[in-house]
Amino acid sequence: MKELRDLATKLLAEGTVNVVLGWEEGPRGVRPAFATDAAAAGRLVFDPRCTQNLVPYLSPRRTQVKKLGKAAVVVKGCDARAVAGLVRETQLAREDVVVIGVRCGGVIADPASPEPLSPATVADRCPGCNSREPKLADHTVGELPAAPPGESRRDVRIADLEARTADERWAFWQDELGRCVRCHACREACPMCFCERCVADKTQPQWVDSSPHPRGAFAWNVTRALHLAGRCVDCGECERACPVDIPLGLLNLKLARVASERFGYTATDDPAVPSPVGSFQKDDAQEFIL
Amino acid sequence: MNGRTISRSQLAALVDDLVGSGVGVVAPVRAPDGRLDYRPVARLEEAVLDGGLPRLSLKSLFLPPTEPLFSFRKSGPDVAIDSVPTTFPPRLVLGAVPCDAAGVAALDKVMGWDYRDELWFGRREATTIVSVACGKGDASCFCGATGNGPAGTRGADLLLLPLDDGFAVEVVTPKGEALLSAHAGRFGEPPNEADVARRRAGLLEGRVEPVGSLAPVTAWLGGHFDDPVWDGIALRCHGCGACASVCPTCHCFDIVDEPEGVTRGTRRRNWDTCQTARFTLHASGHNPRSVQDARYRQRVLHKFSIYPERFGELLCTGCGRCSRACPGGMDLPDVLGAIAARAAAPAGGAA
Repeated sequence: MKELRDLATKLLAEGTVNVVLGWEEGPRGVRPAFATDAAAAGRLVFDPRCTQNLVPYLSPRRTQVKKLGKAAVVVKGCDARAVAGLVRETQLAREDVVVIGVRCGGVIADPASPEPLSPATVADRCPGCNSREPKLADHTVGELPAAPPGESRRDVRIADLEARTADERWAFWQDELGRCVRCHACREACPMCFCERCVADKTQPQWVDSSPHPRGAFAWNVTRALHLAGRCVDCGECERACPVDIPLGLLNLKLARVASERFGYTATDDPAVPSPVGSFQKDDAQEFIL
Repeated sequence: MNGRTISRSQLAALVDDLVGSGVGVVAPVRAPDGRLDYRPVARLEEAVLDGGLPRLSLKSLFLPPTEPLFSFRKSGPDVAIDSVPTTFPPRLVLGAVPCDAAGVAALDKVMGWDYRDELWFGRREATTIVSVACGKGDASCFCGATGNGPAGTRGADLLLLPLDDGFAVEVVTPKGEALLSAHAGRFGEPPNEADVARRRAGLLEGRVEPVGSLAPVTAWLGGHFDDPVWDGIALRCHGCGACASVCPTCHCFDIVDEPEGVTRGTRRRNWDTCQTARFTLHASGHNPRSVQDARYRQRVLHKFSIYPERFGELLCTGCGRCSRACPGGMDLPDVLGAIAARAAAPAGGAA
């Protein structure tokens, strides 16, 4: 913790950055922090409650953050994939942000929970994590903790869904997406949903009905999932933001696996690795093209 | 308490009576993921009474996330309008959380203000609300600060207070009285007053709210639209609107025409929220609320200044859902505390 605070204080004092995006104690567990002075830098924390991905705050849409000036952002390995995603897709110049990596042993799903990290509380994305030490970082702090506890609950759920009939899967998603109210919190909290004008907001023509009836809920959630196929960094922010707890991670992970099987791509914090939608290979599978 | 008692078994029989006579009974139901949702029930056993806050508030039963306003059909040069029903079959909400029922009552003001919203009041008139006193508050609850409480009766027709077996029943409105009279045999003698008082006190025992009286905040807000307190107030806000979706009183909606083929379509209203940038985006490209701080200020002002000024009450019932739902860690009591501190500071009073 001291290493992180000292580094943040130094970056601010020497003027390398104007603000350090990290985490601090809040009224409900830890919350995103925007440290602009030594006092605030001294309040930064990193522990297994720091589940929030702070990279969405680098979006040009966050004008309230943008006006604080040049930023450093504290990232876990999963969050670093979001930085890489933005650099890969030319939304962020690498030199415009200072990346502080933290070595991570997994985080709990709910940053407000007082429970310790355990197989019961661990975030879905953590068990089996292979990016616990961000490679895309200007500075890396902390010791590498033990591997995240528990086993992937999503593997079990995806296998369970894959074993069902199409009708059963349809019923499952009708029930889950039936709760969608089309607030688009998933989109706003997503680091990779950076479109200035989302297809769901277009009205001439209206590609996606804006109503949260079954047609609109399916159109929106399927469209978003497909737009994130091969781009999703699996930070879990969409699912955490969803006010009605739709298991969006299942959709995104399933499509990430398809992208991996078909195009050999897995989300990485190396921005030089091209994404399947951003590159063309002559040996790409083509048999699905009509 | 002016009422009666009802045992758990008689309450189950009452639900059977109502369902049997065609009344739709809605109650908090445990979803497969463990959360509660207000859903239709066929039997009392399906309901979870006093289990805490359902995921979406009671508002969704009166102002659904989407609803048709009318349909239209084009035939040559003529357009025919098919209206939607504005009367609804009888319905009973069993196990409303008091802060949710209070939210519905607060919304009656704006829904009946310059235009009487037929769909809202159609559902209101068809629905009897039976609240159950809340014993499940947590550190994000501040219903007391908003003038409500765990045994608040605002918006309820009947209030049930849990006893050892069953409930003490407080009659709040004539509609509640009518329900009680129509099923008088299901209800027992008035409860023991001392027991009721002890249990009501028990609901408040050990409760510490995260924010104190809101009167100074409300008084201060009106003249401080441009106060420095707003600068950076929404730094961690993603503008995602999850708060508005779960809020029992946020009620903004968008109106859209959805074509169904070439000659038909439906006009619908859908939930909307002032927390997104698009909410105030003009066709010209200008946005009067161009920064999230301004959008968050709007949320605070509407709830704690504009609505009280116009309708004499807060547009917040202290349920705390917004804090729990926020992915960015925005916490309304924390913000209100900061505003209260600003209002109390010597320089804070200056407009």
